[in-house]
Amino acid sequence: MRINFRSTMVALLAVTLACVLSVGAMGAKAPVTLSFWPSSNPQEIEFAKIIVKAWNDAHPDIQVKMEPLPASRSTEEVLLAAIAAGTTPDICANIYPGAISQYIAGKGLYPHDTLPGFYDFIYARTPKDVVDAFTYKDGHVYQIPWKGNPIMLAYNVKLLRANGIDPKSLATYSGFLAAAERMVKDLDGDGRPDQWLYAPTVDVTWWQRLFDFYTLYIGASGGKTLLSGGKVDFENDAAEQVFAFLQTIFKKGLCPKGAMIGDAFLSGKIGSTITGPWSVPYYDQNAPEGFEYDFVPIPVPDGVQGPVITFGDPKNIGIFANSKHPLEAWEFVKFIMSRENDLLWLKITSQPPYRRGIAKDPLFVGYFEKNPMMATFVEQGVYTRGVDDSKYLIEIFDTISKQYDLCCVQGRKAPKAAVRDAAQAVRDILAGW
Amino acid sequence: MPEIAGVGPARARRPFFGRLAEQYRTSNKVGYVMVLPYIAHFLLFTAYPLVFALILVFNRWDIVTPMEFIGLRNIQRLFRDATFWTAVVNTLKFLCCHIPLQIVLSLLIAVILNGPIKFRSFFRGAFFLPFVISGAVVTILWQQLYSTDAGILNLILTRIGMQPVPWLTDPAWAIYSIAIMATWKNMGFYIVLFLAGLQNVPPELYEAASIDGANRTQQFWGITLPLLQPVMLLVVILSTIGGFSLFIEPFVMTGGGPAESTLSVVLYLYKQAFQFLRMGYAATIGFALAIMIFIVTFIQRRLLDTDQPV
Repeated sequence: MRINFRSTMVALLAVTLACVLSVGAMGAKAPVTLSFWPSSNPQEIEFAKIIVKAWNDAHPDIQVKMEPLPASRSTEEVLLAAIAAGTTPDICANIYPGAISQYIAGKGLYPHDTLPGFYDFIYARTPKDVVDAFTYKDGHVYQIPWKGNPIMLAYNVKLLRANGIDPKSLATYSGFLAAAERMVKDLDGDGRPDQWLYAPTVDVTWWQRLFDFYTLYIGASGGKTLLSGGKVDFENDAAEQVFAFLQTIFKKGLCPKGAMIGDAFLSGKIGSTITGPWSVPYYDQNAPEGFEYDFVPIPVPDGVQGPVITFGDPKNIGIFANSKHPLEAWEFVKFIMSRENDLLWLKITSQPPYRRGIAKDPLFVGYFEKNPMMATFVEQGVYTRGVDDSKYLIEIFDTISKQYDLCCVQGRKAPKAAVRDAAQAVRDILAGW
Repeated sequence: MPEIAGVGPARARRPFFGRLAEQYRTSNKVGYVMVLPYIAHFLLFTAYPLVFALILVFNRWDIVTPMEFIGLRNIQRLFRDATFWTAVVNTLKFLCCHIPLQIVLSLLIAVILNGPIKFRSFFRGAFFLPFVISGAVVTILWQQLYSTDAGILNLILTRIGMQPVPWLTDPAWAIYSIAIMATWKNMGFYIVLFLAGLQNVPPELYEAASIDGANRTQQFWGITLPLLQPVMLLVVILSTIGGFSLFIEPFVMTGGGPAESTLSVVLYLYKQAFQFLRMGYAATIGFALAIMIFIVTFIQRRLLDTDQPV
């Protein structure tokens, strides 16, 4: 093929012109785009939409693109898969501290304490002990403390009153069991009970144990978690008492044996349920006309003194290590956690943020006056525990779930044996293989 | 043996690569282009995952940190792991209930639907419908039907004076309850296979048998069943492979409980891989499952396929 001199020169000129134009275009600074994954529940998406819009309007140079966490069995699976594939967002607002070791091992999270002004900002917002609790053993802070959800006992005010049960009597195991016996009724006369006080789930999925065994264990043990110094710390009377309590409920027929259809609490089939403050907007939106509910602390074994400690179900915010714009992401995180947005968050989701002196903060006082139920959660929030920092946490909960099923649901094992076997299995897991 | 044209003894003695090169030189190149998409697909989605899974068997890997070579420890653990063997037993229990139930019911319905009944097309469509509905949807619906306290099945039983059945809450019942549901869901597909087989049976055989005095039952055992043998083999093998892959039903309905009585091998594999991030061990379970399927289907083929030399 013959090369024509004129056409070669025209082509060269065109390429040069294209280069000059594209460099010119790059000179006009393109806005930074941050990806942000909030949790996929409706209230948190609503909050995320509002703050992202407010931020984008005020910051044309740093635009945030919000996508709710992709659907999966759990957030942890999604984030681990994203870390492995290198497809993490810049920011995620649903970091579960129980999985933090795996995120860090995968070099997925940014050491937030190295961000400019991190401690000034975080100590102004969050109590130091909370920040310390989320500081990793290497001294870095890979998750920014955001919110906690103290787990409490929600009860149906009218249903308990109709059955002559004082909610205060649910504070101890003996009072709870006595109330549970009074509540079991066959209302439609078909020979099967259709009303109970409480319906512990028979589902053996690991995270279900966070909201029955684990919450009750924290309460029964006065604030212990499953591990201490990397070793098993639940082979004790408190764990046995919890197993025995739940076993009695199943054994005496004080709860339904199988999965319930629909929301058993809102439909009045059960008088109480263990849940967190996130249920408040859900109940308000879905409860039938005239439904009244309130919260009390979770039941503890008779004789446990002092304030009831419960599971705090914390969720935090994280900037990911592969973010190309960590400084801009940090600015957006500060915006999410600002005083005004904490109030907006509380109003929309009813989940208390980790904010210092929130109950007395003039900005929040009006809210708590209008929502005294939320003040209860804030008071309880002081007495909470999170989860242990172990990469085997899911496996540990799965092991406990197996014993819960055998001991409590099936009644095939004594509580002492169930706790002993769970503890031994967890020791084996921790020892590795 | 007749000599294939162009493949003489002299050519056969050539070195292997030489023969290969000559085959390539003399062949039609368009053929290679035509099979290229399949080869690419095979390499990407079959060969690569298979080789990678084999590598995983000898490694510990949690997705996020680098792999660690651990030799045969995954295999050693597999033999010592009581939960894995529980899952194997559960899967076999499921198969023992599911396969006979599926074959008997599918064949029975196929025979009825092959006869001169009213609304035949409607019934054929109706029986096939559950097969095309999402497994998760069907499972959730059956979970409600099976509910011990509020399910419609127990409501019917109590109304007729019987005791409620702990369908999914008693370890003795749960796997069989799942087998019944899986049979209901998959039956439509096997009915179609049997119908196709039934329509290939020459009608003159029935005519001849009836002239010889054979009644309907004798015709079924003497003509229909023997001529359906190839379809039967297919149904048994497909049901076995499908049964070993039991996952969505226990995953949605019971999570493997009660007391691990519905924990299938694939559900256990899933838990190891995606909940505990033990990818190496999960791959080992996967290979063990593949070997089990191979052995069982091999035996089935030997027993059922009379065309195969024993």
